[in-house]
Amino acid sequence: MRGVAKIFAALSLAATALLADNTVTAVKVDADLSKIGCGSEVIKKSAKFSKIVLYPQTTVTLNDKKANELNKEAKAMVVDVAALYDGKNVAVIVRWPDSTKNVQKGYKSDVYADGFALQFATTPEDPSKLPYIGMGSDSRPVAIYLQKAVDKFYEPNGNGVVGYQVNPHNTNRFGESLKSFEKRVEALANRDYQKAFVSEGFRSMTEIKDGTASYNADMHYVEPKKIWGGMVVRPLKDEYADLSKGAFPVAVAVWDGEKLNRNGIKHLSSWIAVKLPVLGGEELVAAINEKVKGDVENGKELAMTNCASCHRWKGAQSAPMYMAPDLSNIGGQATAGYIRESIVDPNAVVVPGYNRNAHPNYQWYMTDDKGNRTSTMPPFDWLDKKSLDDLIAYMQTLKAEVEK
Amino acid sequence: MSKRQLAMVMDLNKCIGCQTCTVACKTQWTNRNGREYMYWNNVETYPGDGYPKKWMDLGGGFDAAGDLQPGIIPNIESDYGVPWDYNYDSLAEQNLIGDSVEPGFKPDTSPVWGPNWDEDEGAGEFPMDNYFFYLPRICNHCSNPGCLSACPRDAIFKREEDGVVLVDLDRCQGYRFCIAGCPYKKIYFNPKISKSEKCILCFPRVEQGLPPACAQSCVGRIRFVGFLDDEESQVYKLVHKYKVALPLRPDYGTQPNVYYVPPTEAPPKFDENGKIIEGSNRIPIQELEKLFGPAVHEAIKTLKAEKEKRAKTGESELMDILIAYQHKDMFRLDNNYYQQVAKDKGMKPLAPVDERYVAGKYTKISHFKVHA
Repeated sequence: MRGVAKIFAALSLAATALLADNTVTAVKVDADLSKIGCGSEVIKKSAKFSKIVLYPQTTVTLNDKKANELNKEAKAMVVDVAALYDGKNVAVIVRWPDSTKNVQKGYKSDVYADGFALQFATTPEDPSKLPYIGMGSDSRPVAIYLQKAVDKFYEPNGNGVVGYQVNPHNTNRFGESLKSFEKRVEALANRDYQKAFVSEGFRSMTEIKDGTASYNADMHYVEPKKIWGGMVVRPLKDEYADLSKGAFPVAVAVWDGEKLNRNGIKHLSSWIAVKLPVLGGEELVAAINEKVKGDVENGKELAMTNCASCHRWKGAQSAPMYMAPDLSNIGGQATAGYIRESIVDPNAVVVPGYNRNAHPNYQWYMTDDKGNRTSTMPPFDWLDKKSLDDLIAYMQTLKAEVEK
Repeated sequence: MSKRQLAMVMDLNKCIGCQTCTVACKTQWTNRNGREYMYWNNVETYPGDGYPKKWMDLGGGFDAAGDLQPGIIPNIESDYGVPWDYNYDSLAEQNLIGDSVEPGFKPDTSPVWGPNWDEDEGAGEFPMDNYFFYLPRICNHCSNPGCLSACPRDAIFKREEDGVVLVDLDRCQGYRFCIAGCPYKKIYFNPKISKSEKCILCFPRVEQGLPPACAQSCVGRIRFVGFLDDEESQVYKLVHKYKVALPLRPDYGTQPNVYYVPPTEAPPKFDENGKIIEGSNRIPIQELEKLFGPAVHEAIKTLKAEKEKRAKTGESELMDILIAYQHKDMFRLDNNYYQQVAKDKGMKPLAPVDERYVAGKYTKISHFKVHA
């Protein structure tokens, strides 16, 4: 036993050496994680939090005028992320600052909930070919777990009991009988806003409703500290993701209801490598944390001549609106591998995300009869290695500054 | 663009603002489970703030270049109006002799705004040139829907068979970008289920040979329903043959499929002595042009000419259509077509529950004999 412990100690030392911006070291615990919640002892005792930076999602612009106004100058935020591992399940815990607690409740049409989501994926054979950070990509699926601070919501066909779907005043009940009717309705159909999704690109995201996703999510606001805590526990391996390869990729998104955040109006991390206390996974940790060395000034020049006629980013606003994804936070959310792949082979990841009805003059991709998508961006595979490295090094500097 | 398009025409000369359509829709679809504040069908006074309040100023739709425009999501209290209830329970339990409470019906909230808050106010100076008319509105089931374009989750679709625009409630996540994207604000957020919902053009009725509830219940018989490619349908004749039925706010670029016969029959203005100004019309043509686009001039010309022709010769197909003699002519729902669609999908077609309106382009012979 002592020998094994030594090996683990050596491994964790090695892991520490690898630690960089987007790595979290999972802690092995004896407790059964499948039953824990936000305030559980095991989290307080064992969780080792790492600082992770989340950047505003600016790749696509949505069409809510007020929300766009409120989030125009959004800065990056720092959150704490920890992971626990009990041999069968993994728990990922997030703590993020939020000065206001926003719960979506009551008879309102224009309030939004605080919330968070965790995105998991199987570590690919080639760790530079991770799924697209924005909810996966074709044949690179992700599993997403979402929890929002929504007061219980009503699922009308929850249990298919049609007799309880009528307005209380349309029943012939009064007094006590009416109260028991309303209690029954509540018991039948009110549930927590907690969802699991499978997705291959943001428009394809589909809720898993057949019960095949076993998971447990929880979120809790700590009023004195003005922070939210959230956690998701899921099996190490299920049909949606296999996390058992030494390290696995996870990404964090948080929403602030106060700023009308929902869907794409959010803060999103890059892929984070969660290193398990088992062998393997070093390539993933390295791929996620790769910082390309290059001449940033030359990269900027290359970007201005080659990219800025279609893409916009902070400091390059000459391209028409909607023509191509905005790159303002590409350095915060995309890995070097993804940036490289997208420049050299834009067709490798073509997400069915851009709504072609919304801006028909600027189609980001073409679709053939079989549904195959081809990017309208030409491949820049003719760039020499140095130019490519310079360009990626520059792209990695494109990110919002961190909120003080 | 769908294969075929079911459309509705509303004759604004005949709308009396009775809200029978509103009530028919509400009792059929929106009186429960978070939909209480929604009016999939509403009738508002024009000029007026409308429902939701000042919806024309809330953005959405497309600009001339075809780009979806950002919009604002209305608030229930201040823009839609809270549906209030009365104190039925306390009335029943109140001891009117013992309790010191003032007896009587009281609303459970004090509303500050609601649909038709400004009903019949209109504009202009009484009695010289004051005017208003009623504008009934449902979802326009657009050919280029703003709501569909705005949805980041692919939860809104336009039915291939008849162009009805629907929300897939399984996919909807309640983000409400559709509400911002619809320039008519005809898609609503259901706070109870946290999803968006909208007018479904009563497709479950249409598929079984019944016109939408709003159209069938209309006491003024202002609503015509049929397919735009069915040359026999009165909808086709009003929209394409005579070109007197025009889409509302075509400048929003969504290509609506609900059409309006503009109000032409307003009374004349009075001068300061209370005398009729001959040849004048209380409804400013600029207002009609704002609502229905420049085509309104030609439409009004046609309507007036046909009216005169009818007065002189006793004959005018257009006037006969607008008189709306028979429901069975106003509604052509092409039931065989729906039956065939069902069969093609390997589903069991539903039998029509009413056979008066089943005729259509693909439903040549009606086996139903009209009782004289």
